[in-house]
Order: sequence, then C-alpha cells, then structure tokens
Amino acid sequence: MDIRWVWESQNLAQRTLEHLRMFGIALALSVVIGVLLGLYLYRRPKLAPIAFNVLNILETVPTLALLVLLLPVLGLGEKPTIAASVIYSILPIARNTYTGLTSVERSYIEVAEAIGLSEREVLLKVRFPLALPLIAAGVRIAVVFTMGVVTLGGLIAAGGLGAPIQTGIHLYDRDIIIVTGLWVGALALILDGVAALIERYLRDRYGRR
Amino acid sequence: MVIEMLFRRIETVELRDVTKRYGDFTAVDHVNLEIIGGELLILIGPSGSGKTTLLRTINRLIEPDEGEVFINGRNIKEFDVVKLRRSIGYVIQQIGLFPHMTVKDNIGLLLKLEGWSEEEIDKRVKELLHLVALPEDFVTRYPHQLSGGQQQRVGLARALALNPPLLLMDEPFGALDPILRKQLQEEFLRIKEVLGRTIVFVTHDIEEAFKLGDRIAIMRDGRLVQVGYPDELVLNPADEFVAKLVNVDKKFKHLDTLKVKDLMVDVEKYIVEVQRKDELLQWMRDKNIEFAVIVEKGALKGVTDLKSLLKSQDLEEALMEPLVFSPGDSLASALAEMKRRNAFLGVVVEREKPVGILLANEVLLKLL
Ligand SMILES: Nc1ncnc2c1ncn2[C@@H]1O[C@H](COP(=O)(O)OP(=O)(O)OP(=O)(O)O)[C@@H](O)[C@H]1O
Ligand SMILES: [Mg+2]
Repeated sequence: MDIRWVWESQNLAQRTLEHLRMFGIALALSVVIGVLLGLYLYRRPKLAPIAFNVLNILETVPTLALLVLLLPVLGLGEKPTIAASVIYSILPIARNTYTGLTSVERSYIEVAEAIGLSEREVLLKVRFPLALPLIAAGVRIAVVFTMGVVTLGGLIAAGGLGAPIQTGIHLYDRDIIIVTGLWVGALALILDGVAALIERYLRDRYGRR
Repeated sequence: MVIEMLFRRIETVELRDVTKRYGDFTAVDHVNLEIIGGELLILIGPSGSGKTTLLRTINRLIEPDEGEVFINGRNIKEFDVVKLRRSIGYVIQQIGLFPHMTVKDNIGLLLKLEGWSEEEIDKRVKELLHLVALPEDFVTRYPHQLSGGQQQRVGLARALALNPPLLLMDEPFGALDPILRKQLQEEFLRIKEVLGRTIVFVTHDIEEAFKLGDRIAIMRDGRLVQVGYPDELVLNPADEFVAKLVNVDKKFKHLDTLKVKDLMVDVEKYIVEVQRKDELLQWMRDKNIEFAVIVEKGALKGVTDLKSLLKSQDLEEALMEPLVFSPGDSLASALAEMKRRNAFLGVVVEREKPVGILLANEVLLKLL
C-alpha cells in the first residue's frame, strides 16, 4: 500500500482542509443554534416536549435520505452537507443545554435569588455556567455526528475527505479507500479527544460538587 | 464606590399580622413583631415552628398570605425586590456558595453586578476576608477546597459585601461541629460589635440564643409565644413551653457550687452619695447608667433607676429598698429570691457596705 502516492494523487492535504472547514462551520452553527434553542426552550418549557419530539424524528431520518431531501432546496455540495450536519447536531446540544439549565440544583438558584440576583443574572451567572459541562457533552456527541455527515457529503460533491473515498469506490482502488478511510477515522478520534478534554476541563471547572 | 441602598440604617423592621399558609396548614400564624434598629434578634423554636418561613418574609423570598412587613415604616412591597434583597444580607446553614466561582468571585459577585471596578472589588474582598479571619490568598480557592467552617465564613463575607444595614441569618452555624460552632460564635460576636448592624438570627440552640442575642423571640406552631430579653424570659416565662425552653433549672444545676460573690459585678460604677434628685440625675447621665446605688457614709441607703427617678418628686420618693445578699450566699437561692420578687438586681453587702451587684441579666450570660 502506497500511502504517499494516495496522499499526493488524491490531494489529501487540500481535502483535509476542506473537510475541517466544513466541519468547523457546521459545528459552530450547531453550537450557536443548539444552545440558543436550548435557552429558548428553557424560557418556554411548554414548547420543549414538542420541539424535542420533532428533533427526535429528524434524528431518525437516515443521513443519505436527508441529503437527498435537501438537494431540491440547497442543491449539491457544501450547503446541504452543512445543513444536514446542523439538523442532526441541534438535538444533542439543545437537549443537553435545556437539561443542564433546568437541572441546576434548586438551592443554588434560591441563594442567588435571595442575595439579590435578577432573573437574567441568575441565568447568566449561575444556571448557564453550571450547565456548561452538560452542554459540552452534547457538543461532543455533535462532533461525532458532524464528522460522519461531512464525510458523506463527498457523495453530493461537497468536497472534503468524502471525495477521495468516492473516487476510490469508483475506481475500485482499495488503497485510496483504506488510506483515506483510516485518515478520516484518525481525524475523528483526534477531534473527539479534543472535545473530551474540553468537556473534562469544563466539568472540573464548573461541575457540581 | 458608594452603593445605593434602599435604606442606610434600620430604625425598625415591623412584622404586622404576618400569616403564611400552605394549603390547610398555617406555617406562620398572625405574627406581630418589631425588630429594633441595631439589635440582634433571635428567632428560636422547635423544628417546623415557622422560623425560616417568617425570616424569609423579610426579604420577600416568601410573600405572606396576610399581613405586611415594614422597614423604617415603609411597606417592603413598595421596593424593587432585587434592590430590597441587595440591601439585606442573607446567610443560611447550607451556605450555598457557588461551586463554579472562586472565593473572590463568590464574595465579589454582587459588587461586580453593581458595577464596581476590578481594583475596588479586590480591595473590598480582602477587607472582608480579613474581617472573617481568613487569609487573603484564599481568593483563588474554590468552595470545595475549603472546610465547612471556612465556607461559612466566606458565606458571611458574601452577605456583608455590599455593607447591608440588615442581616438575616438562618442557623448559620447549625451544620458545624460543636467546637467549631463555639469558635465561630465568638468571632461572630466580635464582628457584630464592629459592624453594629441589625440582625435577625434563627437558631434552635438556646445557648446560642443567650450567647448572641440581644432579644429573643420564641416561636411555636407558627405563633410567636414570647419576645423579650434573656432575663425576662427566664424570670417571667409566658408559659410552660417557654420555661422548658429556657430551662432554668437544668441550666442552673452547677449553680449549687457557686456563691453570690462569684458572679456579682463591681459596684464602683453605680455607687454614689448624693442628697438631691437633680444631682443624681446629672450624675447618672454623665456615667450613662440606668440605675444607681445610693449610700450614706458608705452604708447602703437604697437603689433607684432612671425611670422611677424621673417620675418622682424627690430622691426620697424614688429610693427603693433592694434585695440584699451577702457575698457568701448561695447563688441559686439568691436567684430564686430574685425570680420570686421579680427583681432584676440585688445588692451584695458586706458589713453594711455595698461590695457588688447581682444583675440577673449578667449572671445568666455568664452562666451560659
Ligand atoms: N413550601 C412549603 N410547602 C408546604 N409546607 C411548607 C413549605 N415550607 C414550609 N412548610 C412547612 O411550614 C412549617 C414551617 O417551616 P419552617 O421551614 O419555617 O420551619 P423552621 O422553624 O424553620 O424549622 P427548622 O428549625 O426545621 O428549620 C413546617 O411544618 C414546614 O413543613
Ligand atoms: Mg428553618
């Protein structure tokens, strides 16, 4: 197996950058939307069951089917790939944000109110920080989801590391498939590892003891 | 930086007919209570008697179903609730330090929200740590890195950060072991002197009540049974329940071995030889004392207090014959006598000359 040949012929360095770019954009959007949705549902808890049911249903749609469904709206390439990643990742992030905010120990909230924090200040200074470890756990799940979807994006011309795998399949070239596949796997492990470290840090820093 | 407080000092905190129900159950039942500015008022009573509930009506954590609370004559409903709570320090048994904040951030939280600068906060936090006898370098610690007693001190520092004129404390030392509790009580007495602010303090430890409190309010089944100074409660308990709670007999068991001379106070300050009422009045005002022991050629003539003195025509009329003990009398029988005669003081005499005074109040405090 000629790793070097695969790396150069398939332009893997370039592909990796594309891949990480899509990953980064998708994850950032997921975090922003997921956390905001979690906050919103915390303020409107009546809506929470409905919202989470809808997201749960979306979660069960197979990735390929979702990508195909998005084609007529967003066309081929990056856009539908990022959109699909975000759709999958919102649930774990929003759900963990919501759970994190609502499950902060009652006593901390009471003390915060008792010493004169306004509702907003309680949310920003007490609830949200104490929810961070759980939010981070949600983001970590999203990292894995996003990595998978972005790779599948290769099927609909999104570029990234899915593209050479696609090429390998077309050409029946085992080497390309294996080398790229392993590389994607390694990247996924590294990113998950980083996410795990961040999660651990937040748990130590903001965890409830 | 000056913070805008709703009130700079407390004249009175007045609870009028405060009632709180949970369903059919009445947790606080038409309580009327006036807390005087500058005093430390103890709320004491058995578990479930409504102490916490009553306390929390003062900072509006609980809104009463009936009745109202007034601070300096103003209904607290008029105040913005966040401002009200920032003007009232609050300390609880569970402490409730925020686990994700350092000691500095916990203490300085309200200062930050009030817009203090970083240097001002630093300075104030250090001041407060000093006040509660913690080392300055604790600022970077997290609550879980502190012992229970240290956490409670930080809790107190946090409550004092904005310098609130009123402090509510709900069994602040309740969770500490007895030795530590004693130590924190001592320190708290010192801090209390320094601060001189109005404090409402919940406990169910009668010793703590006697040790820390100026006045004591006794609660039972949501009702206020009696309010008064320690000697009033001991000498004139409103009922069996109060008598049991202040438990004079048990407290005074070791009294058998004590003599009057062991617990009498020096008479020098109160002793005077005068003929005229106005002379005496002036003298008492100068010395800032409430009562005086009048002698003639060194021998006891009588005692009087400001109130009787002001009411009477001349000195003779105001003079009262005090209970007299000798230094070797048993303290127990002396106190029993005082209780029977409802007297707050007795004069200790040796060879006709006053040598000391037995003050019910002081004796109690010393015994506890
Ligand atoms: N939210 C509530 N719902 C129902 N009952 C309550 C509630 N809060 C308090 N109570 C009841 O009201 C009564 C008084 O409670 P409170 O907490 O004021 O007692 P306490 O005197 O502070 O007791 P402790 O010394 O145990 O702290 C208790 O019987 C309690 O069960
Ligand atoms: Mg209580």
